[in-house]
Amino acid sequence: MFARFDATTVAQLTANGVFRGAAYGLLGVGFALILGVTGRFHFAYSFTYTLAAYLAFTLRFRGPKLPFWIAAFVAIVLSAVVGIVIERFIYRPLARRAGATALLAVFVAALGIGIAGQSMIALFWGQATQAYYGPTKKAWALGSTRFENFDVWQTVSALALVLILTGLLRFTGLGRAIKATRVNPELATIIGINANLIYLVCFGIGTFLAGVSAFWYGLQFTVEPNMGQRPVIFAFVVAFLAGTARSPLRVFFTGIAVALVEQWASIWLSVRWTQTAVFVILVGYLVSLSMRGRKLSEIFTFLRPAVSSPPSTPASSAAGS
Amino acid sequence: MEIWFNYLAQILVFAILAVSLNLLLGYAGQVSVAHAAFAAVGGYGMGYLVQERQWSYLPAVIAGVALAFLAGMIVALPALKLSVEYLILLTLAVSSVIIGVFVAFKQLGGTYGLIKISNKQLFGFHLDRKVDWILPIGIGLVAVFAACWRIGESPYGRVLKGIREDPLATQAMGKNVFAYKVSVFAITSAMAGFGGALYSGVLGLATPGLYGFNFSLTIFAVVIFGGMANLWGSVFGAVIIVLLDPFLQRVIKLKADKAFVIQLIIYGVALTILMRVRPQGLFPEGSSIWRRLRHGKAEGARIEMGADTWVPDTHISIREGDHEPTHGEQGEREARWQAAPVVLQARGISKSFGGIVAAEDLDIDLRKGTITALVGPNGAGKTTVFNLLTGFIRPDRGSVVLNGSELVGRTPDAVARMGLVRSFQDVRLIQRVTCLTNVMLAVQRQPGEHLPTLFVPGGRTARGEEATREQAMGWLRFVGMADFADVPAGALSYGQSKLLSLARALATEADVLLLDEPASGIDTKWVDTMLDLIEAVREQGRTVCIVEHNLHVVGRLADHTYFMELGRITAQGTIDELTGSERLAEAYFGT
Repeated sequence: MFARFDATTVAQLTANGVFRGAAYGLLGVGFALILGVTGRFHFAYSFTYTLAAYLAFTLRFRGPKLPFWIAAFVAIVLSAVVGIVIERFIYRPLARRAGATALLAVFVAALGIGIAGQSMIALFWGQATQAYYGPTKKAWALGSTRFENFDVWQTVSALALVLILTGLLRFTGLGRAIKATRVNPELATIIGINANLIYLVCFGIGTFLAGVSAFWYGLQFTVEPNMGQRPVIFAFVVAFLAGTARSPLRVFFTGIAVALVEQWASIWLSVRWTQTAVFVILVGYLVSLSMRGRKLSEIFTFLRPAVSSPPSTPASSAAGS
Repeated sequence: MEIWFNYLAQILVFAILAVSLNLLLGYAGQVSVAHAAFAAVGGYGMGYLVQERQWSYLPAVIAGVALAFLAGMIVALPALKLSVEYLILLTLAVSSVIIGVFVAFKQLGGTYGLIKISNKQLFGFHLDRKVDWILPIGIGLVAVFAACWRIGESPYGRVLKGIREDPLATQAMGKNVFAYKVSVFAITSAMAGFGGALYSGVLGLATPGLYGFNFSLTIFAVVIFGGMANLWGSVFGAVIIVLLDPFLQRVIKLKADKAFVIQLIIYGVALTILMRVRPQGLFPEGSSIWRRLRHGKAEGARIEMGADTWVPDTHISIREGDHEPTHGEQGEREARWQAAPVVLQARGISKSFGGIVAAEDLDIDLRKGTITALVGPNGAGKTTVFNLLTGFIRPDRGSVVLNGSELVGRTPDAVARMGLVRSFQDVRLIQRVTCLTNVMLAVQRQPGEHLPTLFVPGGRTARGEEATREQAMGWLRFVGMADFADVPAGALSYGQSKLLSLARALATEADVLLLDEPASGIDTKWVDTMLDLIEAVREQGRTVCIVEHNLHVVGRLADHTYFMELGRITAQGTIDELTGSERLAEAYFGT
């Protein structure tokens, strides 16, 4: 089994891990932004993901037959609009009505939207995979490590978007408003931030990032109704491992770390075990979290301190920065 | 005909899974999306033993159930302190791991799964056709339903509901929340394993696809759809969700593949709409089809809630008018306090959060049959003291001794069971259950809180429940809330909920009560009632400690007063001595 443990293989697996990790990371960043700021367990993230790829396909090859890049951009923006609509017209009224049990109500509704959305896609476009293509795929190599031009573009665009988001959060007024809302929506409202609007912005940005990821996935692999399921589960994993209130860069590199673990695991483990390995790590992480108990509130800033009112710790306020 | 028996068998299996998940999700509030994975443990366990090891069916089912029980228990251990979103994620990951492990083992058929689970017999009867399965699965459903009903509607189930609504408050009443969570998780997992063993039996296969994540979501949807904490609703939901398929194929005449897609769209849209218009599900908690058939629409005994005119209807004698003790009386009380035996002794309690010192070197004595008050400006750390004494926050240093036993290091529920019970500043009632149930929850040592006792014939549970009800009604009467026994606690006014929370604390029969702002926010007309109640508690020989801002309240009640500033006790004595000090008055009122 250790026969595969040679420099060439390791380099190849590392490259695969970085490329795939960029996709996990970007999805994780989008999901963490949504969950961390709005507190909505947005299971329908996989629906807008898949929708973006299908819209890009349709705008290019059916109907309007737009130029490739324009079609892709419009499709991703449209999917972001759908994300915003879901928040505005489904989650928000639900959460308002459900009060203390909002998390569960939103989770169930998101589940419903995810299931129905994926099935509607299957109904309109068919169960079969669609051939989505555009720029020429080229095989590149660096020494003995092989990859495609799309791998590089995908990774570079993901990193660029994450850097832009990080800058936005750190240096702009909007970013400060988002962070304030993440720490405490009620308090943010009191100082004049429109928390509802911030929620919509986060859904827009998060869904947009997922759309970009879906576009690259469609271009490299296939466009099919259930293409969103696995990547989105990994987005959850990445977002939770990194902590949803953390900086996008940290979430992004957590994504790369997860993918590297997944790839490197195949050196020692048979391929059947590698995907399970990631979940085993996640379970281990959650177990360690539950053992430490109190630290949870530091990672999840929207969780209020459980006991009446221990003074807020410096650590919990630092988590929001 | 065979196809209809197939549907019927499917309904029965789905109902077994949904009813058991409902106990976990609806009653205990633990959101698990791994139920199908535990069913897989049962199905695979049974399938492996029958197909590869030639076991006969019945022992293989029992082994599968036992495996699922163990798996559930192991998963429940880390679930202890996780909040809802982490629990969803944990169960999601666990179900991936469980299925992933099954796929990875060649002995379990890898990605194909076990597909030749044959030669099934039960007590000499061959189970070859689908119709042969209806009776055994039907009996299985009845057994699971009866068990879930018994558990859910028992004192044990009452604690589950308490955990669902407010785990901290439930723990503060002396319930071992951890043990309840683990046991209910393990039991419902075992039931899921039972359902899986039956399902894999009737289908003759156990495959990764069969028990995939989508199956978990389907069962989850059935429970939500039928109504949480309503077991009949889950059975109904299972019927609907299974029969949708033949309905679309045979009545609307859709092709099988299209029917499948449409079916999913209907599920999804129905779930979303349901959350919007009827989040409690088709059959809400506590609603019963039979009751509705017999009595028409439920006409809950509504009480006129006019808080303007309502006064507590308590039997203790209320002293009218102003009776703050004079200076001399205060001295007598202080002397009585000094003479009374110490019940709770805290020494050198310190706690800091990061760099912030919340409590430093606190020495506190609570003495038998007296009322001790803790006063101080906002942020002095008074509530933190309650948290430190009762184990909600573990002190960095120091000791707390109650009747000779050390409390530091014990869990809050253990502390409560030893006789130190606190109330909460923000009341923390169990909103969605009645006032009586709230108080019944606080009664200690109920036989029906132990699972095995529930299934022992002899009426021990029923007798215990009767006694619990008596006690709880007694305490409701004591605080003058007897008329509200059947009103949900969430419908009370703030002042009424303070009274109820006092009744709840009293019902624990604890020696020492820590009351966090018992009189704040209640109607001025019956502040006197509240104070008389607390004095009556003192007359019973119980030891009381109050945190209070209103100095008149403190002056009337307190035998001894501690003054706290910035986590330190800076003075103690009678309230007049404290307010007489210029420096303390300045610290308290600010000038």
